[in-house]
Amino acid sequence: MEFHQNICPRNCYDTCSIISTTHNGVLISVEGNPAHEYTLGKLCPKALDDVKKVYSPQRIRYPMRQQVRYSGFWERISWDEALTLIAEKILNLEETYGTTLPLALNKYSGNFGILHNAMEGLFTGIGATTRAIGSPCWSAGVEAQTLDFGTFFCSDPLDMSKAKLIWLWGVNPAWTAVHQMPIIFDAIDHGAKVVCFDTHFSATAARAHRYVKVCPGTDGLLALGFAKVLLEEGLIDPNLGSYTFGHEEFIHYIETEISLDHCSEITGVPISTIRNLAIEYGQTHPACIWAGFGLQRYTNGGQTLRAIDALGALAGHLGEEGGGVQYAQFETWRFSGAIQDPFHPINSSSNADQASVDNLTLNQKQTDRLLNINQFAEEAFNCTDPPVKMLWISGRNPLSQDGNLQQWKKLISQLDLIVVSDLFHSKSSEAADLFLPITTHYEHWDLNSSYWHYWVGVNEPAIPPVGESRSDLQIAWDVSSKLNKLKPGSCAFPISGDEKETLLRELGPPMLDILGIKKAEDLLNGPVRAKYPRTAWENRTFATPSRRYEFFSSRASDAHLSPLPIFIPPLNSSIDAPLRLLTPHHHSTINSQVYATGTANPDYVLHLAPELAQRYDLAVGDRAQIWNESGLLEVVIQPILGISNDVVIVFQEQVEGPLTDMGQLTLGARGFALNETFVNLRKL
Amino acid sequence: MVKQLGFVLDVNRCLGCGACAKACQNGNQLAPLLWRRIRRVEKISKDQIQIFYLSTACNHCGDPECLRVCPSGAYAKRRDGIVLHLSEKCTGCKSCVASCPFGAPQYNLQTNKAGKCQLCHERLDQGMPPFCIQACLTGALKLKELKDIAENQLLRLTAPVPSLRLTRPSVFYKPPRTTKL
Repeated sequence: MEFHQNICPRNCYDTCSIISTTHNGVLISVEGNPAHEYTLGKLCPKALDDVKKVYSPQRIRYPMRQQVRYSGFWERISWDEALTLIAEKILNLEETYGTTLPLALNKYSGNFGILHNAMEGLFTGIGATTRAIGSPCWSAGVEAQTLDFGTFFCSDPLDMSKAKLIWLWGVNPAWTAVHQMPIIFDAIDHGAKVVCFDTHFSATAARAHRYVKVCPGTDGLLALGFAKVLLEEGLIDPNLGSYTFGHEEFIHYIETEISLDHCSEITGVPISTIRNLAIEYGQTHPACIWAGFGLQRYTNGGQTLRAIDALGALAGHLGEEGGGVQYAQFETWRFSGAIQDPFHPINSSSNADQASVDNLTLNQKQTDRLLNINQFAEEAFNCTDPPVKMLWISGRNPLSQDGNLQQWKKLISQLDLIVVSDLFHSKSSEAADLFLPITTHYEHWDLNSSYWHYWVGVNEPAIPPVGESRSDLQIAWDVSSKLNKLKPGSCAFPISGDEKETLLRELGPPMLDILGIKKAEDLLNGPVRAKYPRTAWENRTFATPSRRYEFFSSRASDAHLSPLPIFIPPLNSSIDAPLRLLTPHHHSTINSQVYATGTANPDYVLHLAPELAQRYDLAVGDRAQIWNESGLLEVVIQPILGISNDVVIVFQEQVEGPLTDMGQLTLGARGFALNETFVNLRKL
Repeated sequence: MVKQLGFVLDVNRCLGCGACAKACQNGNQLAPLLWRRIRRVEKISKDQIQIFYLSTACNHCGDPECLRVCPSGAYAKRRDGIVLHLSEKCTGCKSCVASCPFGAPQYNLQTNKAGKCQLCHERLDQGMPPFCIQACLTGALKLKELKDIAENQLLRLTAPVPSLRLTRPSVFYKPPRTTKL
């Protein structure tokens, strides 16, 4: 028996540290790493099925080619054939158009391991290309917190155990961050009270002391209503003047523009509840708010998070041990970036087998064509000079997850070559010409950080690659090798290398400093917690231009946003589509990544209030249809508790939606206002 | 009987996530059978909702009905209270399957024998926790020596029906909280 250290690379708060057990080169079990303070030896039910997933009969083990898209007739080809097809197409496009811009990469969070950024490195090494940028997930909230605090930083998740009051606001950790739940339970055991705000009675609400139903998209107004009560009750932090900027303007806005009657009417929360909760929040120290990602996937999502931040500031909870307003962090992701930039100084000093870079210049990569990942298909289709002709999809399943499927169909029809690299076939591979089988995190070296806790660690391979699968890094080397063989100097990305050495180069001086280790190799011994304080903003010195918490942000006004957090109503339903459709994460999946093998539900389940079901003459198990102008979906009816009569929920399936208000400044592209989707409903 | 090991479930910590059931199934290589199951209990009134989950397997009863009815002596109770199913003696007559008030023994169509939670006795004997308890993320599910626990802190898992109480199931739960609306 051998043991190996692995890290779950999924787009998930927990980013668990795993100990895998192998016998004769076969993975036989996985367990949580007991030495990791957040994983604490436990894994979620999704990761518990990793062994089955690695050896699943459905996993694609060889490069495959589909002669006719959507035909499902895949033939096995050799890696050499696959690489030749790809390299010849790239060189052919470059020759035809005189640039490599027709080549596009669409990659995101299927695997957050740092070595997967080899794909970006390969594309940069080829020349100026077309890229998807931004995030479909959290952009508006990231930007809101950046405007307010200066950077995007949260307390250590363990800090929450010290809270006396915890507000779980639009977050469902019982399903999506299970390792936080024992920390919350510990706080409860020490006398903390937990209030859950959501659009429906979630699994987390079931473990809370109190559940407050909020009409979707109105959370920002509710926060401003709470702020109004704090003002009325004299529960404002008397020291605001010493560490915040613009509190007087904000207070003036609350006094003149916010009324509790209006707040109650719009949010659906009774005035007495608003008043009682606000007083409790103002009087209890420490009090922590955890704001989830769902509440910022609206056209007003950034404002919502800024209003919640402002509420925390007003009550004096910022910088408080066990308090604060927690969203997520990105401070432990300061890797050197050498892998995604073949021209990085670290690379020129390394021993890597470097291709000739003579005929490529740094200027070339600066002319990349950047498209918003949330409007990728539309923007890529509209590119004409030159058009997008080849698309590589990596770590994504846009044909399942993106809103604009009709746009995708149009884009696909103009593409000469679509390459999908993945573990399993997906909605997206149905449209692909080539499928490249990739390794799981049990089969390659990698490096992982979390966006919630502060641990960083090395993932080591436990078993050899299954079938002929290759890591993204290996594939990037191989493509570069083939390109350089066919046309020397055509790609500056290395043509070979060592995975472990490559990952060690990602740990540059800033990361070593953050982790408090002397040399990169020290991280090979086990995951390390970054040396950040347990409590965010404990000194109340912020990273904003004013060095203060900014109620009033001139950076916001420079970006044509309100300088103060304000309430802007979410989009309204219409007669044609009277019901708001929400699509939160389910406990059994991460986006379109499915874990339970063989237990897939054949039907989409529509969750709605019993009264709403009655209004449409629907009972449990009835078949129905939801539709809007972008599509139609057959569903099975399942009533759910604590939900408004104008909202329906399908867990984890997404349809068309507009963009969020913020995200442009910090992430380069606005977010996806997924929860501003409206549908109609009829019984079948 | 020297000891009586039993499961104690703090339902206020149980998320119903099913890690216990999955770890049991994977660790004991049971698929498609499950020796541990999650039941959802829901009570709703005007101003409060109570939803909790019961993770249940064999209750390792004080007076196990399976042991009483088995005609081939395929059940045994260890000195630590674990009720063992002895596969080699099982003829697959299903008497236990029919008589257990909790549906713990299940008939395995591949082996043509009954089977049930054995409380991972081999792991326990090596000083390791059962798979279910090792997997529980929140510490909701615990294995305890029941005689050490004050009875007034615990509720029995079963309904107060005489026929159920007769078997004296060694499973307890802590009373669930409700969520105020």
